[in-house]
Amino acid sequence: MSCTPILLDDKLASDIKRAVINAIKETFNVPVEAGKVEYGQGAASLGGDMSGTIGIVQEHLDGTLMLCMGFDILSEILPHVLGKNIKITYEIAVDAVAEITNMVFGQVKTELNQRNHKVKLGVPCVVTGNNNFVSHFHRGRYMIVSFYIGEKMFQTYVTLHGDAASG
Amino acid sequence: MNQLNTLKILIADDHFLIRQFVTNALMELKIENVQGANDGNEAIDMIQRAKQEGAPYDVVFLDWNMPTILGIEVLSYFRAKPEYADTAFVMLTAESEQQNIMKAIKAGATSYIVKPVSAPDLGKKIFEINEWLKRKRRVSGGMFG
Repeated sequence: MSCTPILLDDKLASDIKRAVINAIKETFNVPVEAGKVEYGQGAASLGGDMSGTIGIVQEHLDGTLMLCMGFDILSEILPHVLGKNIKITYEIAVDAVAEITNMVFGQVKTELNQRNHKVKLGVPCVVTGNNNFVSHFHRGRYMIVSFYIGEKMFQTYVTLHGDAASG
Repeated sequence: MNQLNTLKILIADDHFLIRQFVTNALMELKIENVQGANDGNEAIDMIQRAKQEGAPYDVVFLDWNMPTILGIEVLSYFRAKPEYADTAFVMLTAESEQQNIMKAIKAGATSYIVKPVSAPDLGKKIFEINEWLKRKRRVSGGMFG
């Protein structure tokens, strides 16, 4: 049985919102609010200090899910689990972003596969560097969902290459 | 009779965040004999050494995706050895799809935890696992085999 192509739409945005809020709230007991959802076409850049990326693989397309966070957010939330006496190093922050990305994608994947999208698991990797920009160069559509922990913002980015990208 | 606070637990997960998260949840239950392994190889060594020293782990949390050896492979390795039949193996994973849960149960997992999990929910799982341990150690047979 063939799979249903994924669309960059409000349903996927809701899946991502739910997954991110759940991952942060359950793990760190910190409230997160979802902000606006932005759709665009072509190249896009996101800023942050740590960016967890994971591949979205499906019969009709492949794509990327990315979670970009500043070190300031990680320094705020990680002590909720690691305690206040542990110095939050870059290594610890990288480890955390990889795991948060993994938890977010795990939930999104489950939601998509319940709708017959047959998405396969990608391997997460984390890009780091102070105030880095992650730029995607492609012609398809993208979707950015912003989140807030207090005043601090972080973002998720999804792009799809393939049949459904223009959907 | 197993008291929760006497349980000896190993958390095998390559992510420090998760090892610490599970450790905190166990500390809330006054379970203090908790150790961590960074990957599947280290987990196998620690589990075998603890058994040889006469102080085996009661519960082993295994992350599904770990470097060197996957958690599910560690589980299969020990489930093939009857002397570990009364060790509880709990799979930790971000995968919540039915086929993965079935795969873990078939491989002999005592329980299955999908991340993210809240500390209270993890606590409830520990109570269930402790009941499994009590039953397992009273009679042969168990939750999943």
